[in-house]
Amino acid sequence: MSERLGFDHVTKIFEAPGSDTGFVAFDDITLEASPSEFLAIVGPSGCGKSTLLKMAAGLMPPTRGRVLLDGKPVFDPPPGVVYLFQQYAKSLFAWRTVIDNVMFPLEAAPRSQRNELREKCRDYLKQVGLSGFEDSYPWQLSGGMQQRVAIARALAADPQVLLLDEPFSAVDALTRMELQSLVLQLWERRKFTAILVTHDVEEAIFLADRVAVLGAKPTALKEIIDVGLPRPRDQLTTREDPRFLKLRHHLTSLLLARNPAHVAAV
Amino acid sequence: MSQRSEVYRTSLLGLLSPAIVLSVWESAGALGWINPILLPRPSQIVWSLVELVADGAVFPPLLYTIALFVVGYAIASILGIAIGVAMATSETLYGLLEPLVEILRPIPKSALVPVLFLFLGIGKTTMITVVVLAAVFPVLISTFQGVRGLDPVLLETARTFQVSRMRTIFSIILPASLPMILAGMRVALGLGLVLVILAEMLAGEDGIGFRILDLQRAFQIREMFAWIFVLVALGGGLMMLFDLIERTLVPWRGKT
Repeated sequence: MSERLGFDHVTKIFEAPGSDTGFVAFDDITLEASPSEFLAIVGPSGCGKSTLLKMAAGLMPPTRGRVLLDGKPVFDPPPGVVYLFQQYAKSLFAWRTVIDNVMFPLEAAPRSQRNELREKCRDYLKQVGLSGFEDSYPWQLSGGMQQRVAIARALAADPQVLLLDEPFSAVDALTRMELQSLVLQLWERRKFTAILVTHDVEEAIFLADRVAVLGAKPTALKEIIDVGLPRPRDQLTTREDPRFLKLRHHLTSLLLARNPAHVAAV
Repeated sequence: MSQRSEVYRTSLLGLLSPAIVLSVWESAGALGWINPILLPRPSQIVWSLVELVADGAVFPPLLYTIALFVVGYAIASILGIAIGVAMATSETLYGLLEPLVEILRPIPKSALVPVLFLFLGIGKTTMITVVVLAAVFPVLISTFQGVRGLDPVLLETARTFQVSRMRTIFSIILPASLPMILAGMRVALGLGLVLVILAEMLAGEDGIGFRILDLQRAFQIREMFAWIFVLVALGGGLMMLFDLIERTLVPWRGKT
């Protein structure tokens, strides 16, 4: 299987004051996502899931090991890898209108193509359900709508890989479901590689082809689970599927039992 | 509706306190509690002011002061923003300039006015330099803090879209730190105005500052106060203009 994005024996150690060895965030993680795969990474909060994603985006170098994009090591943020932040409000440009936010990744293009690209951006906004809000400013929109703007901007960058860093954790439950369905729909249409980091087990199962489970500190890969639920997935029927519930049970128990040895000893 | 009446009420309240001060001042003068030669009544001062405006005598010194101030303020703003951004984005420039800025910044700039007269002579260059020295530091410090305080998410967003360093500065760093830059420019506005008036008083060539001191020496107290009123109007006018510009440039202030 050819891989699109891979972590090859990645270890990340943060320098910690008063410690010679530093703080080990990950130890020897190897994991890959194939083209058009939806991979979810779940782990307890504070396990450094976002760090893993930032290394994938080239925003942070690993201490040991390599991050590979189409077989080539990643040093700086590579084109085609787009990062969707949890803090959408901080990621959007408040001084730009919605359409100009979406235009941002395309502004290096020659001036003659501007009008054509602008039309494209209108279409991206339509795809995320924001037609009519082109000339609004992000701060005039609700949280869910702001994340939709960020998604449209990500689409404009023509992603090969979309990195989703808990992008739905700051919105209300109903909006979260709408955004999940939206991302799924766009992913099915565009077939980019999606890597989602989340602490929400149900979200991971609902969206992903495979779920990688991270254990507690220092973080290592505990298990990779094939979801195998049929697509297209539906917020009601998929979540009621007995297989969904079984996976949820399994993953939740994995995450809750942070130290199985300890539990066994008791 | 209620928000509108709220605004209306606060602006009315804001007018109330100056009105009270003026009435007390006026009554005290009318009742003979204060020496009318040293402190004329507001109504008398207003008449002098009207005369000043009516015969056009107000305009040459007013424009002289405005011109000096605006040129100095513009230079200070551009310098302050440029150095502030440079220091905040380059560790080398930060290491190089930080000690110098920290030595110069706390000096009361009024103390430098006689020194500048010595080196640059008495003239417009000196006056503008004085304004620049007074106004540059608040802009510089605010810009620096604004840029350093930007959310990492914003800069990471720029990096993931492979934006060049220059474009990151001009299309992300500058607009994102604009609220802080403007806060510094607001402080600089007041300081710059104080220093231009002081420099005019010391240089004794022209301008509102020169008029005020000149009339005080000639003991034309009522006219002197009329010029102080002109100065109050100038300061208030500049502040209102600044508020307007700020509201236009950063409509998102306090909303993100």
